Amino acid sequence: MKLPSKDAKILGQGITGSEGSRAVPWMKAYGTNIVAGVTPGKGGQEVEGVPIFNSVKEAIEAVGSIDVAVQFVPPKFMKSAAIEAIEAGIGLHIIQAEKVPTQDASYIVALALERGVNILGPNTAGMISPSRKLKLGLVGGGNPSKMFIPGNIAVISKSGSMAAEISLSLKSNGFGVSWAVGIGGDRIIGSDFVDMMLALEEDAETKAYVIFGELGGTYEERVAEYIQKGKIKKPVVAFIAGEFTQILPSEVQFGHAGAIIEGSRGRPDHKRQVLREAGVKVADNFDEIADLVKALAS
Amino acid sequence: MILYEFEGKEILKQAGINVPDSQLIKSSKEKVNLNFPVVLKAQVLSGKRAAVGGIVVVEKAEDLEKSLVSMFSQTINQEKVEKVLVEEKIEFENEAYLSITYDTDFRSPVLSISESGGTGIEEKLVNQYKIDPLTMRLKDDHSNLIRLPQELIDKLIVLFFAQDCLLLEINPLVKTAGSEWLALDAKLKLDDDASFRHQDWIFPPRLAPGKNPTQNEIEAKKIDEGDYRGTAGSAYFDLEGDIAILSSGGGVSLTAMDALLESGGKPANFTEYSGNPPREKVIKLTKIVLSKPNLHGLWIVGTVAANFTDIYETLMGIIDGLREVEKELKTKFNFPIIIRRGGPREEEAFAALQQVKDFNLILQGEEVSIQRSAKIMAEQAKQYETSI
Repeated sequence: MKLPSKDAKILGQGITGSEGSRAVPWMKAYGTNIVAGVTPGKGGQEVEGVPIFNSVKEAIEAVGSIDVAVQFVPPKFMKSAAIEAIEAGIGLHIIQAEKVPTQDASYIVALALERGVNILGPNTAGMISPSRKLKLGLVGGGNPSKMFIPGNIAVISKSGSMAAEISLSLKSNGFGVSWAVGIGGDRIIGSDFVDMMLALEEDAETKAYVIFGELGGTYEERVAEYIQKGKIKKPVVAFIAGEFTQILPSEVQFGHAGAIIEGSRGRPDHKRQVLREAGVKVADNFDEIADLVKALAS
Repeated sequence: MILYEFEGKEILKQAGINVPDSQLIKSSKEKVNLNFPVVLKAQVLSGKRAAVGGIVVVEKAEDLEKSLVSMFSQTINQEKVEKVLVEEKIEFENEAYLSITYDTDFRSPVLSISESGGTGIEEKLVNQYKIDPLTMRLKDDHSNLIRLPQELIDKLIVLFFAQDCLLLEINPLVKTAGSEWLALDAKLKLDDDASFRHQDWIFPPRLAPGKNPTQNEIEAKKIDEGDYRGTAGSAYFDLEGDIAILSSGGGVSLTAMDALLESGGKPANFTEYSGNPPREKVIKLTKIVLSKPNLHGLWIVGTVAANFTDIYETLMGIIDGLREVEKELKTKFNFPIIIRRGGPREEEAFAALQQVKDFNLILQGEEVSIQRSAKIMAEQAKQYETSI
């Protein structure tokens, strides 16, 4: 993952739709440089002053190179939209669609890997950096300053709403965020906690991480592994949700597509244990997250 | 969606994978036209049937009816046996375990093979090979490592993608003396998110394996069927407690449930709605959640930072739902109702809620964390319980 810079040029895919057309003015008002939109068949239109093109190729010909493609595309068109933007050479793709077929997600994740580009999502609310005035996606809605203020904590979360809740809790305790990132709650995602953290290790503004994990998969366990290998050096506070699901039958999905215990894999108590063993400060409840961040700072 | 063995085997058969000759029967009276010995296999969704009498060998035709009567009277891991797959018994020389699934370690589909199959696969050595979704083939050449026929593996990988499987598991996959490979079992899990491109999926709705669904769980599941605007009720579980839950957002719902339990509150259910569902879906879910007896509180909890969900529509939908249930059940809800929510149109919503006088509403915004809200809910419910 290469973090986008302050002046990154942003393309909005599907911004003529209901979510996209609502999000564009929010992004512009935040100071994010959204230079073009793409919706096949709607070339020539404008959304809040942003010119719309029929294809990514046409958009690039008109406005020059693009750094980030933010998708506001329904799940069944996610794959073709992503392929188009990846093949046009764009380096970072924010894929917000929920309920994407896992096969399609795995296809574009493999394609991005082959082409050396990065994907955030699917099923992400995007990423936001207050100091850079970058708001890439729905994250923060129309009033991002309510929860995201500039600061030194990177919040990385499987849930966009929980990234906002944690940032709000940090704010009320006097802390701001360098970045708040939703990695998405799906089984197969383009960038996991570790991918984001390896990039943020090089980010001078980031002094510590807060991660929000939940039952399912092994992305939290990978954080522990990378800390133990010495690849992640900045301090980590973690909160893992879904303890109560352990009293219910396994093989059941809870909200997010990846939130499922399969056999002995994906249990929240196991995630907490391996994170603790790697030296992560694991919060026992939500309010403790801010307390642990305070303890790091002192 | 998890498929029953007989449904999975039908898909395997159509893809050119050998399965034993079989017959699906729904009563012990049905005539079976197979060569003996046969194997009776209870069609339930939970695995590990064999240890609890879900797989029985019948040597002679005259013993069949008695064994079938016994199997149809069983409940296996809380699932009632309603269908039995009768199969010709296969003699084999080798058995293997094979599965294809998405693995978060590899962030890719993965083929897993163990040279010895059968029960207790968790304890055996399993080799994993990465599958490339771009080519729909194994990422690297492992032909020297895998002793199963390449053609069989290729067919299964193609099937995995064509049917949008999340899991395709065959255990055991056996080789007969005649060197023929057969799938003696089949566990397929289909990706519900791909159902828009599968008119071929005509499987009746079903619930979680190993659990006998409650009426509420069945009703909740129906809310999302055929209506793709947001989700409401797809994840619903009845629990033993006295606090009804209407929570929204995947991560927030999990956090809220953990917080309530930690605070000593007892949830009456788990459910989650998200993605801006229309008012009528929220009303339906509210009705189900509040249909339980002996409730001492209702907790409507979600993020105060919703990006897109119309807070006015959803909260007013819940109030409508409350009033409808009161009417239908000829009751009055006096218990505390805590609403902790925010996002688009929140000011309008809270202004309207302040005018609602027929319920004991406690409104909370960003000044109350999920944890704090849980604690207040637990305390309020206890207070109410002792006051009545």
